[in-house]
Amino acid sequence: MSDTTANIRAAALRGPVLKRAALTGGLVAIAIAVALIRSGSGLVVWQSVVTGLLTGGLYGLIAMGLTLIFGVLDIVNFAHGALLAVAMFIAFGVVQGTGLHPYLTLVIAVPALFLIGAFVHRGLLSGSGGATLENQLLITLGLSLLLENGLLMFFGAEPKTVALPGDFQFSLFGAVVTGGRLYAFIGAILIGAVLFYLLRRTRFGTAIRAVAANGQGAELVGVNVRRVHTLTFAIGTACAGAAAVLAAPLVTVTPTLGDQFNITAFVVVVLGGMGNVAGALVGGLLIGLVEQLTTIYMGGQSSLLGVFVVFLVVLFLRPEGLFGRKS
Amino acid sequence: MSARKLVAGLGACAALLAATAGCGGSAPSGAAGAGAGRDSGPVKIGALHPVSGANAVDGQQMRRGAQMAVEAINAAGGIRSLGGRKVKLETGDTQGKAEVGQSEAQRLISEGAVGLVGTYQSAVSTNVSVVAERNRVPFVMDVTASDAIFSHGYKYSFRVQPGSAAIAGAAARYLKEVSEKAGKPVRKVAFLHEQTDFGTGAAEAFAKAAKKLGIQVGPNISYDAVTASDLTAQITQVKASGADVLAVAGYYRDGLLAAKAINAVKPNLNAVWGVSDGAFDQPKFVSDVGALGERYFSTNYHYDAKNPATVKLRAEYQKRYGAPMRTGAVLAYDAVQVIAQGVERAASTDPEKVRAAIAGSQVQPLTVGTGPISFAPNGDNKNALPVLMQVQNGQIKQVYPQDKAESQPNYSVTWRP
Repeated sequence: MSDTTANIRAAALRGPVLKRAALTGGLVAIAIAVALIRSGSGLVVWQSVVTGLLTGGLYGLIAMGLTLIFGVLDIVNFAHGALLAVAMFIAFGVVQGTGLHPYLTLVIAVPALFLIGAFVHRGLLSGSGGATLENQLLITLGLSLLLENGLLMFFGAEPKTVALPGDFQFSLFGAVVTGGRLYAFIGAILIGAVLFYLLRRTRFGTAIRAVAANGQGAELVGVNVRRVHTLTFAIGTACAGAAAVLAAPLVTVTPTLGDQFNITAFVVVVLGGMGNVAGALVGGLLIGLVEQLTTIYMGGQSSLLGVFVVFLVVLFLRPEGLFGRKS
Repeated sequence: MSARKLVAGLGACAALLAATAGCGGSAPSGAAGAGAGRDSGPVKIGALHPVSGANAVDGQQMRRGAQMAVEAINAAGGIRSLGGRKVKLETGDTQGKAEVGQSEAQRLISEGAVGLVGTYQSAVSTNVSVVAERNRVPFVMDVTASDAIFSHGYKYSFRVQPGSAAIAGAAARYLKEVSEKAGKPVRKVAFLHEQTDFGTGAAEAFAKAAKKLGIQVGPNISYDAVTASDLTAQITQVKASGADVLAVAGYYRDGLLAAKAINAVKPNLNAVWGVSDGAFDQPKFVSDVGALGERYFSTNYHYDAKNPATVKLRAEYQKRYGAPMRTGAVLAYDAVQVIAQGVERAASTDPEKVRAAIAGSQVQPLTVGTGPISFAPNGDNKNALPVLMQVQNGQIKQVYPQDKAESQPNYSVTWRP
């Protein structure tokens, strides 16, 4: 393929994506305006938007690993939440044991989760046992139960907290922003950028995309598909590790913590388009916003309601996700 | 294609979870099993608590509390009216699921339990009370907030803790009295609560009681305790409303989030007021949030910190298990005592006779009460008393009513003069 055709193709792709992004942005603006009318307090809505975006960054971060695994391997990984919990306990344990700054545990948690991911894929999923959808579901679900209860046995059910030394807060045009949430948000964007670079600009990323597009074809041109699968799964779980460390100071660490994020993460993945890392980040921000705005619309009642309404509407209108490509 | 796969996956997962939960399902009504093995050997008391799952910490605490009661009874010579027969605790794990609790209750009854204690969760207790009623075995609830169970005319259900309406009513009354004494009479209360029966029930009961006392309640802000990861926007709403008191009814994890959000937003409050809140009166809360929780109030059932017997029991627990004994565990201790003393007074292991004896109970509680545990015709403890607590210098102190107070209430918040 020559350069010019590639550019033309890219432009043709970019056009509709931009249009959809603009449309989504417009809808969000309208939703915020309605929330403003509904609540009557600018401060409340502004705080909701800020909180929504900050929380959304976290959702995006968690969903990025999931979308990578889902998009490339086509595995619905129900153990993602449990792996997140494992990483949080690693962070907690290291902070307790060594007194390191919580963010420095990235150095341990990310490689550990990478190895766990590689092991899980090689040991449990890549064989013939993990070939069908049903088996994948059962294996990952079983794994999540195993991990959760293992953590329960090992660490006990007592909720744990990871304190962030020197946490601060500041006022952003009246809305409160705490340091921990801001760091997590920035971290999410940085990790998203790294993943994006990895996928788009490196040889290995090209191999991953080739495998995602057509496994057989990739194999024919000499890509080691099994290796790419394992590494992708490992990178996906390593993302969960990074997300866990950044989120650890913001949440209460319990073995069942994964449940809290699992469903939201799946919604974000579908919303952003399967396997689309940038889409996952945008989807996370959207879901964070929707959650907060729903609480304004519904007077606080179930923020998940709004999330699922948006989820269903998107599935209905664009089953491939807001920023996904038709398969 | 992939989206369809995901949806299929989610559906399959939901079905699978439902199926595993269903496996525990209701066992057949065991009239035949109800009499088995009660006449010889130790007197069996069944304890149903969630010792695994999300509430495992409380479940384990309560099981240990019940076990310590059994040990105390045996150390004092067992059931004297039955010639000193020993008491034995038979335990069941509800996993926090109503269906599992139901089948475990059936099992314990079939194994010869003369009575059941449990279960920490209202939904589980609702199902267990049905099993108890059907098998005519007394069921003494330690922790169960919901009042609905006591409106069915059940004869075999009893409860030691004060119910949700009683706590919310007391919270409103204490708030009025304490705020007036402090010279800052309460004007308007914003209520932040989790959105299931527990939180909503507390909010409604509080609003009703507050209205009678002439306190304005609003806005009423709810949130999803399972998924919430930040309550800053909700607390901003409180700030914007101009309320001078924030009442909170939630669980532990979201209680931490609320404390963090309150610290971030710093609304113009005179007090933060827990209403049967699951966090504000836990020692763990104080150690987790540190200074943020200082001066938070909480109206709840509580172990009687001024009772020497309670102090001794809690010291023993701390020594044995290395953790402070929670109120739930003390309630479980009380509940086992109620059944054991019922057996003692009935001089029989026939559950129906035990039930009759329990209905006329006069048991000295280790939890706060206005007198001995004794039950109203609907099974509720007449003398249960909610107490007001406050975090003071990192300690949880009973501060109101006066005769239960360890220290005086300090009606203020740390971030305002």
